[in-house]
Amino acid sequence: MALPVLICDDSKFARKQMANSIPDAWDVDISFAENGEQAIELIKAGKGDVVFLDLNMPVLDGYQTMEIIRQQDLPCMVIVVSGDVQAQARDRMLKMGAIDFIRKPIDNAKLMSILSQYGLYSGDATATKKQDTEKLISVEDKIDAYREVANVAMGRAGEQLADLFGEFIKLPVPNVNMIESNELQMAIAEIQESDYVSAVSQGFSSIGLHGEALVIFNETSFDSMIKLLKYDQRQVTEELEVEALMDVSNILTGACLNALSEQLSTVFNRSHPIILGRHCDLEEMLENNVSRWNRVLATEIAYEIENHDIQFDLLLLFPSDAVDNLMKASSGRRYERTGTN
Amino acid sequence: MNVPAQISQQLTQQFFSSLEVGLVVLDENFNVEVWNQFMQSHSNIAQQQALGKNLFALFPEVDEVWFRSKVKPVFQLNTPAYIIAEQRQYLFRFDTYRPVTSASKYMHQNVSLFPLTDASGKVTKVCIVVYDVTDEMVSRKQFADANNKLKRMSRIDGLTSLNNRRYWEECAQHEYKRLGRSRGQSSLIILDIDHFKKINDTYGHPAGDEVIRYCAEIIRKTTRETDVCGRYGGEEFTILLPDTDAEQAILVGERLRRKAALKSVDYDGEEIDFTISVGIAEFHPRFNTHTEWLEAADKALYRAKQGGRNQVVYE
Repeated sequence: MALPVLICDDSKFARKQMANSIPDAWDVDISFAENGEQAIELIKAGKGDVVFLDLNMPVLDGYQTMEIIRQQDLPCMVIVVSGDVQAQARDRMLKMGAIDFIRKPIDNAKLMSILSQYGLYSGDATATKKQDTEKLISVEDKIDAYREVANVAMGRAGEQLADLFGEFIKLPVPNVNMIESNELQMAIAEIQESDYVSAVSQGFSSIGLHGEALVIFNETSFDSMIKLLKYDQRQVTEELEVEALMDVSNILTGACLNALSEQLSTVFNRSHPIILGRHCDLEEMLENNVSRWNRVLATEIAYEIENHDIQFDLLLLFPSDAVDNLMKASSGRRYERTGTN
Repeated sequence: MNVPAQISQQLTQQFFSSLEVGLVVLDENFNVEVWNQFMQSHSNIAQQQALGKNLFALFPEVDEVWFRSKVKPVFQLNTPAYIIAEQRQYLFRFDTYRPVTSASKYMHQNVSLFPLTDASGKVTKVCIVVYDVTDEMVSRKQFADANNKLKRMSRIDGLTSLNNRRYWEECAQHEYKRLGRSRGQSSLIILDIDHFKKINDTYGHPAGDEVIRYCAEIIRKTTRETDVCGRYGGEEFTILLPDTDAEQAILVGERLRRKAALKSVDYDGEEIDFTISVGIAEFHPRFNTHTEWLEAADKALYRAKQGGRNQVVYE
């Protein structure tokens, strides 16, 4: 009898990608869930002996889902599939009973080794597209594909950040919106609680694709950040703040762009970062700085370190003329990773 | 295109020499592997002397602990890292490029640190690129200084050197917003010189101005550094007292009133006596705007005037 396998991810694109990574010769019956709540139902209905579970999802995230599986002792093997592979995230999930982790975009070799290690499957690794072989046409599909790319990139950035601070970083699902650049302030205000902020900007560019990465710091975060980063406290606070600003934005933007270029198979040139403003009114800062781009694709994520009152936002902004290529590159990449490994 | 290796190498050499940026390649132990013409000229260290040497031995002024911490993520994460001149003026202490007309003695530098990988993709070296941004930084500083000066000037009342009305209101609005979030206790004082028109009519406008200046002086000397004092208009002054309840504000108001009443202004041999009336309002969440708060203080001032002037009234 075919083994019931459940793929749970809020991104349609990610669900497809996971399905396409499953070896052809493995006799499975695949079901899909968009969040933890659906997953629990399907597991109870016997549709998920093996569950591939994403971490960052709306409604019920991966941690909450795992907690329910553990509490109710539901009969399933959970393999976590996530762009964010922070050590603490790993520990938390393994403690609750997940059997292993696979990094997004799906690492096929890792998948095969897990399957054989747990006696699930050890045959031919060839995986061809099973699901929905026609191209992703609708705008929603394309945005969904891009959201997943951004999700992985921002998760990767969060992971590096966790290393830098030695703390667990809370990661929500990134918001992806097409907005007018004068709406940027509202978009940021939604995720940024503080009136006064500091911000670092860095431009990046490759053939047909260019954009800007903004890191925005909450005014109140600096003291805790400086403590966590263990700087030489003899330096004056002002210098330490610039240092923290640069260290955090270097890591965030660096890791995020690395993950983006890896997924989109492109190489980015990067501008030298500049400080857009320090301790200034968010509205005023944007007014002084945003001068072009009528429509931008804005991807926002708010990183948070619990118990330390640290919060900063990463924004990826693509001008409208880059969006087409970005969508194409995001949707197109699904053909690369599938196949033998 | 097939370029004979020999020429290619020569071209590369010329190319690196003509670049007006510093190029250095370091191995994992911070020993120098590449040292271009820019680096030679500005450091006065020839290529032969630099190659194979440890960077920290060549430049004892480079903060080793700090610089290692900047390079660490480049090796570990395979991502570039950036140091900007706002952070540290320079990595290498070079004299400025134009020895005569530059406003700065030392070069301001932006520095990029790039990972260089071997065939297996492991980062084995780091490339340092040094950009001279002296002129940019100098003009940015001049711009910021000029802007700050303008900002200061646009906030100050010419006659009294207190804050002008526009800026004072901005501060009051800001404080109002802050209180909306944090629920502290702050107070507003509004005060007015009694019968000012009579002073002007009797002694002339220059004498009136002197009284206004003198009154501002009393305010300045009586308030704390954290209080925000402004000339609201003509002979009217406003004071914002953060983290001060009505009781304390009344003490301040009473002190101001007493000082004004006790001393007279000496103008051109004339002794001019004057008094002030003071209205006070403590912040209350019922105020929908900062203007309502100010209006409450103004009502108190009106009652002080009605009550016979030279007195402090709180709302």
